[in-house]
Amino acid sequence: MPTTVDPSTFTMVDFDSAEIAALADELARKVGLGDDVQIVIEVDETTPLGRTELVSLDPVHIRTESGAFENPKRIRQFSEDAATDVLGRYLLRAADRRRDGFGDVPPDSELTVPQRTAWEVSAVGRLARLGYPVRRQRWLYAFRNRYGFTDTADDAFEQLWHGDDLSWAEIDRLSETTAATNPGPLQR
Amino acid sequence: MKKLLTPEELARDDRFERADMMDRIQDPRNGSEAANRGNGRLRPDRADAPDAARALMHGIFVGEIQALEGAGRTCYDFEVGATGKLDDEEVPFELKLDMARQCWDEARHCEISVKLSEWMGTEIGEFGENAFLFQAACNPDPVLRLTGVNRALEGLAIDVFNTMKEFGDLAGDPVLEFCEDWMLADEVTHVKMGSDWLRKLTVNDKDRQKRALEFQRVVDKLFSFGGFRGEDEESPVHLARRFRELAGFDDAEMEEIAELSREAKSEVEERSRLAREANETASA
Amino acid sequence: MADSKKPRAPFAPWDRRELPGAFSVEETAARVGQYKWIEMKLFEALGGWVATVPELDIKMRLGTHCYHHAWHADLWHKRLPELREMNPERLTGPASPEVEAFMDAVAEPGEHDQTIEKLVGVYRVLIPHKVAAYTYHLNNTSTITDAPTIRSLKFALQDEMEDWRDGTLMLTSLIQSDEEVQRAADHQAKLEKLLVAAGGICGPGTIGDAYDLSGDPARLTVA
Repeated sequence: MPTTVDPSTFTMVDFDSAEIAALADELARKVGLGDDVQIVIEVDETTPLGRTELVSLDPVHIRTESGAFENPKRIRQFSEDAATDVLGRYLLRAADRRRDGFGDVPPDSELTVPQRTAWEVSAVGRLARLGYPVRRQRWLYAFRNRYGFTDTADDAFEQLWHGDDLSWAEIDRLSETTAATNPGPLQR
Repeated sequence: MKKLLTPEELARDDRFERADMMDRIQDPRNGSEAANRGNGRLRPDRADAPDAARALMHGIFVGEIQALEGAGRTCYDFEVGATGKLDDEEVPFELKLDMARQCWDEARHCEISVKLSEWMGTEIGEFGENAFLFQAACNPDPVLRLTGVNRALEGLAIDVFNTMKEFGDLAGDPVLEFCEDWMLADEVTHVKMGSDWLRKLTVNDKDRQKRALEFQRVVDKLFSFGGFRGEDEESPVHLARRFRELAGFDDAEMEEIAELSREAKSEVEERSRLAREANETASA
Repeated sequence: MADSKKPRAPFAPWDRRELPGAFSVEETAARVGQYKWIEMKLFEALGGWVATVPELDIKMRLGTHCYHHAWHADLWHKRLPELREMNPERLTGPASPEVEAFMDAVAEPGEHDQTIEKLVGVYRVLIPHKVAAYTYHLNNTSTITDAPTIRSLKFALQDEMEDWRDGTLMLTSLIQSDEEVQRAADHQAKLEKLLVAAGGICGPGTIGDAYDLSGDPARLTVA
C-alpha cells in the first residue's frame, strides 16, 4: 500500500511529497514492513525544528517537523540523507513494535532518553547493514552521552549496533546494566 | 594581494556551503509558535543534546576559521605606524604581533575543532556556514575591528566555550571538556588584547573610543542571536561572568551585555508575533 | 672534588669560542633591521593569505607559520636597541628597492587558485634564502661579542627549517601535473631573478662572497 504524505504540496519548504513517499516505501520494504501496511508521513512544515514521533502502528503514522528532513547546509531544502535517517529509524521502530519480542515495550512517551538512544543505535546499525549511509561515530557519541564515556558503554554500543534480532528485553537489559556503570559528570 | 576582503571572498573547499543570513531571516517558518518554542539550555538530559552539541561545535569550528582569517587580515590590511603618531589606518607593530599570535591560537582552535568534530561524529562542512562573524573583521578602522572582534566576538567565544565545557563536564565527556578548557584560556587572552589595545589607541581620542564601544554593542547584540546567548535559564549559551571578569570585563559591562541580549530576545519575539499575525491574516 | 680555589682556564678546553667576527655593531644592526623588515613582510603576507587559501590544512598551517615569523620580527625588533639603535623604525626596512620589489612579488599572489604560487614564493625561494642569510650570519659573527644575535639566529633557524619542511610537504602534495610543475618552476624563476638582481635578501654580500680568495672575513675584521 503506497505511503501517504501530508501535506501533498509543500508551500513553506522545498520538499516533494512524492519523493518522501518513494523513500518511505523503499525503506518500509527493506525494514520488513509488509506491503499491506499503510504508512502516513505527516510533516509540519510551519516549523524549522525537527522533532519526530511515532503516532500509531496501524496505520504506521509518523509525525515530524520539517527540520528533520532539512538539508543542514541549505535552509528549507530537502535532504535525502536526513529523511532516510529519520524515516529509517522510525519505520524500524514501527517494524520492531509489530514483531514478536517487542510486546512489552512501553509507549514511546514512557521511554527514557537512554532507552530511546539504545533502541536507535540498534536501528541505525541495521540501516547500515541495509546499505544506507549512516555515521557510526555520531551514534557512538550519542550513546556515550547517555551511558558514559567508558569501555563498558562502548562494548554495549557494539552489541546493539551489530545485533540483528535483539528483542526489547535484550535492549532494555543492555540499557539498564550499562546505565548502572555510567560514572556521570567528570570528577575534577 | 588586495587589502580589505569581504566575507564573500573567503576561500573554502567544496565541503563548505555558505548559508545566506537573509534566507534564515526570511524563512516563513519563523513565525510559528513551534519555531519559537526553543530548546532551552544545552544540557545532556535534553533528548536532542548530542546533535545540538554537534551542530554548535560545527558553528564554533567555522567561527574559528573566520577568526583565524580575521586575525590574519589584520596582520596584512594595515600599515605599521609609529606609536603616538598613528593615523586611523595604521597600527603599532606590537598590535600586529598580537594578531599574529592570535592567528596561531585560532589555527590551533581549528585543529582542535576538527579533532572534536571527528570525536563527536560530525563531518567537516556538515552544516551551512554563516560568514557574519568575519563581517566584524572587515571594519576598515583597526580600533573598531579589534573592539568588535576581540571584545564582542571573542567575548562570545568565552560564553560558548564555557557552555560547552560545562556540557562536557556534565555529560562526563573528558575530550570535550579538555578541549574547551584550553580554548577558553586562549579566548580570555584575546579579549584582554582587545581591551588593552582599545585603551591604548584611544587614550587621546574619546570620540573614536565611543565609536568603537558602540560598534561593540552592535556586534554584541547581533551575536546574542535573539536570546541564544543570555542569562535566562532557556538561553542555550550563558554569559560566563567569571571568565569574562578574568578577561577584564567589569560588572557594568557584563550587565550591559545581558541587557542587550534581553533586548535582542524581545525584538525577535516581537518579530515572530508580527509574522504570526501576518500569516493568520493571510490564511483568513 | 678538586680544590675550588685552584685557578682554571677562563675558556675551558671544550669552549672554543673566538673573539673575531665579520660584523661591526653598526653592520649587525643594519642586517638585523633588514631581517626584521623581511620577517614582518612575510608574516603579514602569510596572515593575509589565510583567508585566500581554500585548502583547509594549508590555511591552518599558514596561520601557525604567520606567528613564527612575527616572533622572529619581534626578536630582531628587540635586538636593535641593544645594538645602539634606539629608534628601531629607522633601520627597519629593505636593504634596497630591489629587495622591496622581490618581497612585493612574493606577497603578490592573492587569488584562491594561486596556492602553489604563494607556497613557492615562501618555501622554495624566501625561506631557503633566509636560511642561507641567517646561517652565513651565524657562522661569521663573533661567538663572544654577538652571542645574543647568535641565540636569536638559532631560534629563527630552527623555525625556518621546520617551516621549510612543512611548506615542501604542502607543495609536493599540491603539484600533481606537468602544468603545475611548470607553474611552480616559472614562479620560482621569476622570484629568483628578482633576488639575483637584489644580490640576496640583504643585498650584495648577504652570504659573503664565495669568490673572494683573500681569506676568512671574520679574521680580517679584527686583525
